[in-house]
Amino acid sequence: MSRARPRRILITGGNAGLGLALAQRLARDHKLLLSGRKSQIAVDGSLPRGAGYIVADQADPEMSTQALVRGIRDFGWDRLDNAVLNAGIGIAPGEGFDSTDAIRNTLDVNLTAAILQAQALFPLLEKSRGTLTFIGSVAHAGSATVPAYAASKAGLHGLARALRSEWKGRVSVQILHPGPARTGMHDKAGYDPGRLRALFLKADDMAAMMASAIASGRSPATLSFGRYLGLGAVLGRRL
Amino acid sequence: MTGKQKRALVTGGSAGLGAAIVRRLTADGYGVVVLDRDEPPPDQRLADFLPCDLASRTELDRMLPDLIAAGPYDLAVLNAGISATGRFEAISAQAHLDVLRVNTEAPMVIAARLLEANSLKPGGAMVFVSSLSHFTGYPGAATYAASKDALAIYARSLRKVAKARGVTITVAFPGPLRTDHAEQHAPEGADASKRMDPDLAAGRIIADALAGRNMSIPGAGNRLVALAGRMFPKPMTAMMRRLIYDRLRG
Repeated sequence: MSRARPRRILITGGNAGLGLALAQRLARDHKLLLSGRKSQIAVDGSLPRGAGYIVADQADPEMSTQALVRGIRDFGWDRLDNAVLNAGIGIAPGEGFDSTDAIRNTLDVNLTAAILQAQALFPLLEKSRGTLTFIGSVAHAGSATVPAYAASKAGLHGLARALRSEWKGRVSVQILHPGPARTGMHDKAGYDPGRLRALFLKADDMAAMMASAIASGRSPATLSFGRYLGLGAVLGRRL
Repeated sequence: MTGKQKRALVTGGSAGLGAAIVRRLTADGYGVVVLDRDEPPPDQRLADFLPCDLASRTELDRMLPDLIAAGPYDLAVLNAGISATGRFEAISAQAHLDVLRVNTEAPMVIAARLLEANSLKPGGAMVFVSSLSHFTGYPGAATYAASKDALAIYARSLRKVAKARGVTITVAFPGPLRTDHAEQHAPEGADASKRMDPDLAAGRIIADALAGRNMSIPGAGNRLVALAGRMFPKPMTAMMRRLIYDRLRG
């Protein structure tokens, strides 16, 4: 099989969870630039070899967007083949209601930052007729457990649907909706899935399905247990 | 007897669909509280007017105690919304932010705080005004579409916990209306007479909310669009592109 040329790939939230699993999978063949909230020192040693790192806390959508643009330029890149806007948080309100801060924080990190970043990265992606990938969630159809998170992912779904049409022929836009995976997400959200955890996919298997969905360009793509049972983690295209 | 008078909250009640909803509720004998950035029309007889720019977090936070104190409500209609049409990359960052704040974040915060404070009476109803665009792609208003999709799904996600308090949640998906808002954002050459009369839409939405229905799509034509959007998402989005995006001014 002939190997494609290495692609310049940006992954936000690439220092943990699915973002890191995807980065580890793509690091062999591609050039990576990852972003995260943590400091450079805190992530040293945990990122794939050769990957660049940008500190960009999406809790401030405007600042994090500026940090990304600056970081890409400082890394010496003048274009992007792929941008994977993956960074996200979830907060489970338990029996009560989302606090005002939780609503604002969730929307800022998951939706607002992605919108400003999509806008800022457009010229870099357009130069190489690249692909912009939003990472949604199967919760985008609604979830009583994490209402604000579900809302933010529904917003990304609608955004991707519109942008895919707007940017047709210039930048390919897609959204992937991963099902639950074994990452730190649920603990961080303050939600214990209990025995359901047995059905969660390994982060690496999910990353494999994400990589092939990115290569295929299809949208929207739901990446869940069903697709996994259909050998979605081993079949499919390679990026 | 004012003690028996039903009470309603309408955000964005000073113009457009919101004003139509206020007119209808007032005619039905409700005491209506309006929250809006702009003054309501002078002929509107309101129970209370709370000035607030929902694009501002500090203004909303300052207003929330008054909003709760003006309750409890039999009906809350979270209607306030703004738009930003144009090529996504050409719309200013501030405009994107404002759309998300006003259309998504503010109604989410208001809904959570009102329900938490038991500001909706048991047997009461809450309405979230989303958009018909929820059922199709909306090239030319990507962030607006995102804001209304997010709101619709938040509403749906709250239904269970609201029901436990005896409150029903209705999501309204109005199509194009004959309002100033639509006039500003409609593509050039669009035929205003094809847009729905806001008073008609207001009546349908209120009736659906009081009946405790999950959804309200005013207008048979709009219900057809919603169905087609779900069954044929790609051709419908392509049609929206021809209708909206390809006819953007400038």
